[in-house]
Amino acid sequence: MEELILQLKQEIIKVLNLEDVKPEDIADDAPLFGEGLGLDSIDALELIVLMEKMYGIKLQDPAQGREIFKSIRVMAEYIHANRSK
Amino acid sequence: MIAWAGDSIISSLGFTTEECYRSVASGQSGIRLYSSFMGLPEPQMASLIDRERLADSFAADSFAAVNPCSGGYTALEKAAILSVGSAAAAAQVDLSDPDVLFVFSSTKGNVHLLDEGERQAGRDHIYLWYVARLIAEHFKNPNEPVAVSNACISGACAQLVAMRELESGQYGCAVVVGVEMLSKFIVSGFQSLKALSPEPCRPFDAARAGLNLGEAAATIVYRRVDSEDEVSSGIALQQGAIRNDANHISGPSRTGEGSFRALQALLRGVAPGDVAFINAHGTATAYNDDMEATAITRAGLQATPVNSLKGYFGHTLGAAGVLESIISARALANGTALATHGFKRGEKEPPVNVTDKNTHTEKAYCIKMLSGFGGCNAALLFKYVKEKSNTCRKP
Amino acid sequence: MPQAIKRYSCVTGRSATVDGEAFPVAAEAGDGDEGKFLAALYRALKADYPKFFKMDALSKLGFLASELILRDEAPRFVPREDIAVVCFNRSASLATDVQHQAAIQREDSCYPSPSVFVYTLPNIVAGEIAIRNKLLGETSFYVCREWSAQQVFRMVSHTFCDGCTRAVLAAWVECFEGTCEAFMMLVEQQDGLSGLPFSVEQVDILYQNTKLKLWKS
Repeated sequence: MEELILQLKQEIIKVLNLEDVKPEDIADDAPLFGEGLGLDSIDALELIVLMEKMYGIKLQDPAQGREIFKSIRVMAEYIHANRSK
Repeated sequence: MIAWAGDSIISSLGFTTEECYRSVASGQSGIRLYSSFMGLPEPQMASLIDRERLADSFAADSFAAVNPCSGGYTALEKAAILSVGSAAAAAQVDLSDPDVLFVFSSTKGNVHLLDEGERQAGRDHIYLWYVARLIAEHFKNPNEPVAVSNACISGACAQLVAMRELESGQYGCAVVVGVEMLSKFIVSGFQSLKALSPEPCRPFDAARAGLNLGEAAATIVYRRVDSEDEVSSGIALQQGAIRNDANHISGPSRTGEGSFRALQALLRGVAPGDVAFINAHGTATAYNDDMEATAITRAGLQATPVNSLKGYFGHTLGAAGVLESIISARALANGTALATHGFKRGEKEPPVNVTDKNTHTEKAYCIKMLSGFGGCNAALLFKYVKEKSNTCRKP
Repeated sequence: MPQAIKRYSCVTGRSATVDGEAFPVAAEAGDGDEGKFLAALYRALKADYPKFFKMDALSKLGFLASELILRDEAPRFVPREDIAVVCFNRSASLATDVQHQAAIQREDSCYPSPSVFVYTLPNIVAGEIAIRNKLLGETSFYVCREWSAQQVFRMVSHTFCDGCTRAVLAAWVECFEGTCEAFMMLVEQQDGLSGLPFSVEQVDILYQNTKLKLWKS
């Protein structure tokens, strides 16, 4: 799980172009949206693409993302339980 | 103020304005389910121009048959040329006259040519300015055309350009052509934004689930007038405004800031009580329609009938502003506020007066609203000027 | 009312100027890499706007050109409806279009990126500048065969006809196949003229001179 969490942080920094953010700056349980990283609705859609491309998880309804993208840990747990690649 | 001299539409609902308007007035939609669609794995709802009919019409058209483009025309260019040709015929305008300016509106033009399988076509066709020139040159027009690419409000911006050019006395006549054809490029992008509805779209409806995309080529010919007297028995574009939300590049403003301010600018020229209807952008995405309802309410127009034409034509992007202005102007001249296809009255209704059936109106003005990515919003004010000697409406 | 060019700026993949004077960016910045140079310029401007890194190259160019012009304006970030942003170029958003096309080209691996797709509209650059500076006025984008001072002058002059517009940020911003340049002017309507007169000739001289200077540097 720790390995998946680190990998996720690195991927998120890369695909969301979070310049000047390092994996250790993102707390495992901190909310991804709202304050903090300053992510917006397009970032949420980009995370949906990341889930599909990297882990083979298809989210049809963007509203699902709201639950899954609560924090890095919630996201990692969801991926761990549902991944197909 | 500039005067409407002629128009033409090519869309899923027909190849003339008359054909399209009649379909809309009788409640028909051009949106269909396509099981295989431009190389995309999923079936798609869309409103497409009949390509066979387009090719046949182009071949049969005497105006179009003269073909100065050696590499041939793309479907988009053919649709635009056919549409310009018939609008000019209706307006009885000689397009080769240096007093005529072409204004071209499209968001993506021939972007399908970027696909590896399409590269054989002349590379210049991917440039919007090139397509604009090609169309103007087809009609032997000597002026450098203006090409507008301002996301989904392009069709309104192009009309505003025409108004400013004519009012400044630069030209006597302007041909505004809006055109958009669909491709995997466009559809896959909207898919990635989760903006597409798997069902026919339902603007302003509580159960709306996103937009459907559409194709169209639409043309309006405008001429310069010195006073309203010269517009007897016709439509005039009286005013227009573009405002930005300054909020987000793809998410509409929660306060409808830009749309509200664009409407407010128009209300300097008309009282809310004189507006027959507002033809909203009404894409049927959750956020757009809420945003527009907020803007309309803030502008004090909540009692005015509001409709959306997306349920008939889908969202035709860079053509939408021209296409929907034509249908709205025709409805205004007809004394009709058109129904919003796909909208049903129910428990959860929007705070504005959305039409669910065609209704009669005697009022002289209508407003066209548009919004687009990049936070841009536009509003246009049209007036139907009755015949001076006779107050009967011209159908 | 007469209009004047209050300030102008230019940004390419290896240099930046304001009112014709070079804006200092660390000499080694970029090492010929345009993306790196634009990032170095962003840092030199101390804009503190992380969204910059999410923009496509066209928006970055326009954003930086506008920062060069507006950084000394006061007050900043106050909502203004009377400032318009009007942009022009030759290739629309083709540089980003090519990226989106590459993502969908293969049927067995079609993953279009929503954050790339939103930039496949050229007018997004005008939107980015409006968002950054809270500009609620007109934003427009025109595509032209080539740089045309006449076209820029005409369209910008027309924008003042709106009845609300008092100033226009006008830019030529082009980014495709080896070209990477933004030339921007702040044109203001004012009683007493300060700055350069806004005319076709002046606009063309500024663009050509700035370009010349940048090539020499």
